[in-house]
Amino acid sequence: MKCLRKGRAALAAALTLGACVFGLQSSPLRAADSWNVTGEEAARFDATVVDILCELTGDCAEDCGGGQRQLGLLTDDGVLILADKNAAPFAGAVDELIPFCKQKVTVDGLFSENRGLRLFAVQFVKPVGEDGKWRRANRFLTNWAVANGVDPESKAKNGWFKKDPRVVAVIEEQGFLGLGPDADRAYLDAQ
Amino acid sequence: MELYATKTALAAFALALLLTPAGRLQAAATAERLQITGEVMDTWCYTSEVMGGSDAVLGSAHHQCAVWCAAGGVPVGILSDDGEVYLVLKLGDDDRSNANPKILKIQSNRVTVDGEVYRRDGLNYLLVDQVVSDEGIVNLSHEDYGVIPAFGVPKQ
Repeated sequence: MKCLRKGRAALAAALTLGACVFGLQSSPLRAADSWNVTGEEAARFDATVVDILCELTGDCAEDCGGGQRQLGLLTDDGVLILADKNAAPFAGAVDELIPFCKQKVTVDGLFSENRGLRLFAVQFVKPVGEDGKWRRANRFLTNWAVANGVDPESKAKNGWFKKDPRVVAVIEEQGFLGLGPDADRAYLDAQ
Repeated sequence: MELYATKTALAAFALALLLTPAGRLQAAATAERLQITGEVMDTWCYTSEVMGGSDAVLGSAHHQCAVWCAAGGVPVGILSDDGEVYLVLKLGDDDRSNANPKILKIQSNRVTVDGEVYRRDGLNYLLVDQVVSDEGIVNLSHEDYGVIPAFGVPKQ
């Protein structure tokens, strides 16, 4: 009986120690989640957040375009990587990176490569050298909620793409097929 | 002799510039004027195939999703007739490439544009000077693929 108690205690200690070690490591070793996308490659690297238009042409805005322009990740060896996607549904990476304009960050995410394109999805980001927590790259949802009068804490923001006034206006005019409301009606009637 | 030394130093300096990252940037950033005809499209769904095969996420089947993604700030491209994708960074004088409302309105359309192309690290970046023609959506992909994603179809 005494032996069993000792065994349980040892097991509990081992599990606790394991959980602590894993817990300590899981934050700094934040690894990208697989999305099973084509040509998927998980990657973590350091790079400077740049305004792509500025980088290519010299047409620069002081604040990287203030969120209006696409942003890239420029590595120390001069490779420009397009930050194409974030970790929120149907959204890009600008909201995630614009707070770090011209700063060096560590990003964690996925490349997808297909048909001659190699694009990067940012899943997590943090300033280089900072021991703090990774920031999940879904800031877009909170920004969208605030801009559209939706409670940022509510789940309603997750379906932003169907409620966004810009989207609603385009789909009302063009239809979900883009061929006009009559084509939508014909499609639905045929289902 | 002094002239030779100066020339050598200048050559070495020029070589050093080319070998630095900044030098490479300048060397890479050369524009090419082109006229491109193709479909305005969503780059992430096309590349990742997260919603379906690349051919299914073009045209009318994927129009609504392409509008969602453009509104969300996913970079928009033009898939040219020869299969090259050009990422749109500018439309005329308008340098908004993140969720530009003008680009939302031409998503999935077949267009011909004049502009400047910058090729860098395997991608083509396009600054559109002028939309020469806009034929609207001509790729009726919904006839083959339905609506992608299917949850985008309104409930009746």
